Formats: sequence, C-alpha cells, structure tokens
Amino acid sequence: METVIIIGGGHAGGDSALAIRQAGFQGKIVLVSQESILPYQRPPLSKKFLAGDVGADTLAIKPSSNYEKADIEFLPDTAVHSIERAEKRIVTDDSSLSYDYLVIATGSRARSVEHPDLPAPVNNLLYLRDLSDSKKLQDQLIPGNHLVIIGGGYIGLEVAATAISKGVVVTVLEQQERVLSRVTSPEVSSFYEKVHTDAGVRVITGAAIKTYKLDTAGENIVSIELNNGETLQLDTVLAGIGATPRTELAEEAGLNIDNGILVNEFCQTSDPSIYAIGDCSNHYNPICGRRIRLESVPNAVEQARIAAKAICGSPSPYTPVPWFWSDQYNLKLQMAGLSQGYDQCVIRGEMAEASFVAFYLKHGKILAADCVNRQPEFASIKKLVQQQAEVPPEALCSPETNLKELIQSVASGGT
Amino acid sequence: MKKWQCFFCDFIYDEAQGLPEEDIPPGTRWEDVPDDWVCPECGAAKEDFAMMEID
Repeated sequence: METVIIIGGGHAGGDSALAIRQAGFQGKIVLVSQESILPYQRPPLSKKFLAGDVGADTLAIKPSSNYEKADIEFLPDTAVHSIERAEKRIVTDDSSLSYDYLVIATGSRARSVEHPDLPAPVNNLLYLRDLSDSKKLQDQLIPGNHLVIIGGGYIGLEVAATAISKGVVVTVLEQQERVLSRVTSPEVSSFYEKVHTDAGVRVITGAAIKTYKLDTAGENIVSIELNNGETLQLDTVLAGIGATPRTELAEEAGLNIDNGILVNEFCQTSDPSIYAIGDCSNHYNPICGRRIRLESVPNAVEQARIAAKAICGSPSPYTPVPWFWSDQYNLKLQMAGLSQGYDQCVIRGEMAEASFVAFYLKHGKILAADCVNRQPEFASIKKLVQQQAEVPPEALCSPETNLKELIQSVASGGT
Repeated sequence: MKKWQCFFCDFIYDEAQGLPEEDIPPGTRWEDVPDDWVCPECGAAKEDFAMMEID
C-alpha cells in the first residue's frame, strides 16, 4: 500500500490530506503536525478570535469527523527532524516513517526583531502566528494599556483595529513612509492610514527605533525611544514585520531553495516524490511573469488541490491569480493580482465613502486591483486580472460600467 | 436543509437561515442562490463553495 506523508498541520497541510483522499488516493495518509490540535483557521487570530467574539472551538477548518471519514492518521505534537530522501523516510522524535510521496507544508514563521538592546527574549514582545500567540496577545488587550505595534502591514493593522475596539491605546510604528507599502499603492495606503487615525490609532511612519529600554530584571520592554527623540512608554509590543519560509528540513534534504522551496507548476520539488505547498513554497506564476512565494490562505488551499491531483495521477497546472483579503473595522479589503510595477492607478467608486476599487494598469492592461467594500464585484475583478484585460480607464471608472460585461466583451474580442 | 462551507474561509451558508441581509430569505436552497453571489467573508465565488459535512 502506498503512503503519503504530509509535514505541517496548517491550512495547507490539513487541506492537502483531505484533498488527496478526495482525489482518489487509496493508500495511507499521515498528517504530521507540531501543533496539538487539528488544522485551524488562522485569519481570525488577528480579528474575531483576538477580539474574543469567537472561541477556539470555532476555528477548526474541518470537524474531526471529516478526517476520520477520510481515514487520515493525525500525528499531533510531532516534530520532524529530517527527511532521508534516499530511503524515502522521515525521522521524528521517536520513530521513522516511510513514504511514497511527501508533501512539505511547513509554512512560515514570524520574523523576529533583532536589536542590540534585546539579546534575549523578553516577555512582552509578542508575535502573531498561531493560536497560542493570539491567546497571549488577547490577554494584553486591556483597556488603557499601551500596545506598540512594530510594522504597518496586514498583521499590524488588523491587530490595531481589534485592539483599539477593546479600548487599548495603540501606536503603530512603520519604518517606511507609508503603511502597507509592500502590498499596495500610496493611494490605498493613505486611505488606510486615515481610517486608523480616525479610529484613534496613532500611526507613526518613517519610524526608526533607536533603543529599547528594559525593566531592571531585563524581562520586559518598558519603553521605546525613536530616532526623532520621542520616547514611548508602553505595556506590550507586537511585532508584525513579515514572515520567513520554514525551509530548513527541505534544505538539509538537498532540495532546491530560493526564497522558499522551488516547485514546478504541479507543486513538485526538485525531487519528484516530494511536493511543497503553501507559504513555504515558491512557484513560477505565469500571470505575474516571475517566481513568487505567497503567504495566503487561497494559495495554501489551491496548492493543496494541485499537489493532490498530481499525486493521484491527474496533474493540472497551477496558474492562479494571487488574491488576498484583510478585514479591518467594517472594511473588507480584497486584493487580486500583484500591483508591483504598475504605471497607472485608476479609482472606481468613492474613497470618501469607503467603497472603491483601485485598478492598477501596466501598458494599459489590468495588472491588479485592490477593492474596499466591493464584494459583489470581486469575482469579476479577479477574472479581469486573470485576463490582463485592456480596458479604457474611463470605462473602469464609470459607474455605468458593469464589470461583468467587460469580461464577456474582452473574452469575445470586442471592447 | 444543508450547510455549505466556503472553500477558503470559515464562512458557512446555512440554507435554513439564508442571508436575509443580502435578500436571500431563510430556506433558500444553495442552487437557488444567485450565481454571481460571493462569499461575504472573503469574496470567493459561488463555484468555490463546498458541501459542509454535518453529522
């Protein structure tokens, strides 16, 4: 009987196990996880769960009965020490397991703050990656406490929105001149900065941290001094400064790595019996025209499906439009495509009314779009990005235009 | 009456409850939800939804 082993119990790993069974695999499926519970939703960890609106019991991606029905063997609290490719086996704490196919879904880890003032870990410098991180942060969301967030990216801003709603005093420190600088345009960045400022969050851009002052025991940060001389007294620090792929196992096993484990269009690594999916993998994206590594739920679950099909002998290539979402306050941000390299930004709708689409064009073609509170149009927008549709900016702006019809006319060759 | 879970996020469409705030009355079966409807949580299209297993 053939065996598939999946390393990693995150969104990619959990969906992979179920997708492989669904694709018709008859053999043994083993899901190895370092965590003690079945795969769970991570997006709520900075939002609904962090706010205390939902309990941990609501986070499971699928109920345990789904794994039982699919006859998936779940190994919790299990660290994998090595992959022995020649023998086709993995080595864990107390045993070794043989595989015919291996799926690496080890995800990514939060990048840590490095500073000479912080030679050792401190108690009140937190990160947000898993359920226990979110619980720790939740305990700190006490009205009147001062939370300093390092990094004005998705994680930082989502936590800021949740924390301010709990009566916490929130300061966001962003090194760049604007928030969300890595993922969106100056127009959308300034929109979000204003939203946060209006909600009472203090956003400091161009912020450089000079010193961290610790308490006498050296266990907690009591204040941060910025390069401009300002000192922030604080209770808690959350760092949301990006993530790095967990590729150590793959690297030690000699797989090809370059900002993630390199995979082909079927999520297959340089070893044909080993696949890599989700945050830890790096694929060539034909729509973006380059190799990319994505940290998103859609990428994790779609790659899980692609690898499952390949393992079960009916491969179909991965050619997705990258997409993301981020909830902050009552705003639903949805992004399709990657906007880097655009030469024109066209706004549809009204930023002042918090209902708009920012289309990014390159040489007249739609490269990407950021949508705020435009859920009904998002499916059409994703298709336009996929088609790299060439649509006159006036048509994109016009409220008379039905975006869905643009897809049809592009598909039929007209304009 | 069945429940359907979004493929990408944790949103569940419960046929018994419908989505009155989106003019989908309680008891609306999944096949009668408009094809251009998208997940209110993450924006996935209707075709991305999957059947939720209920014991």
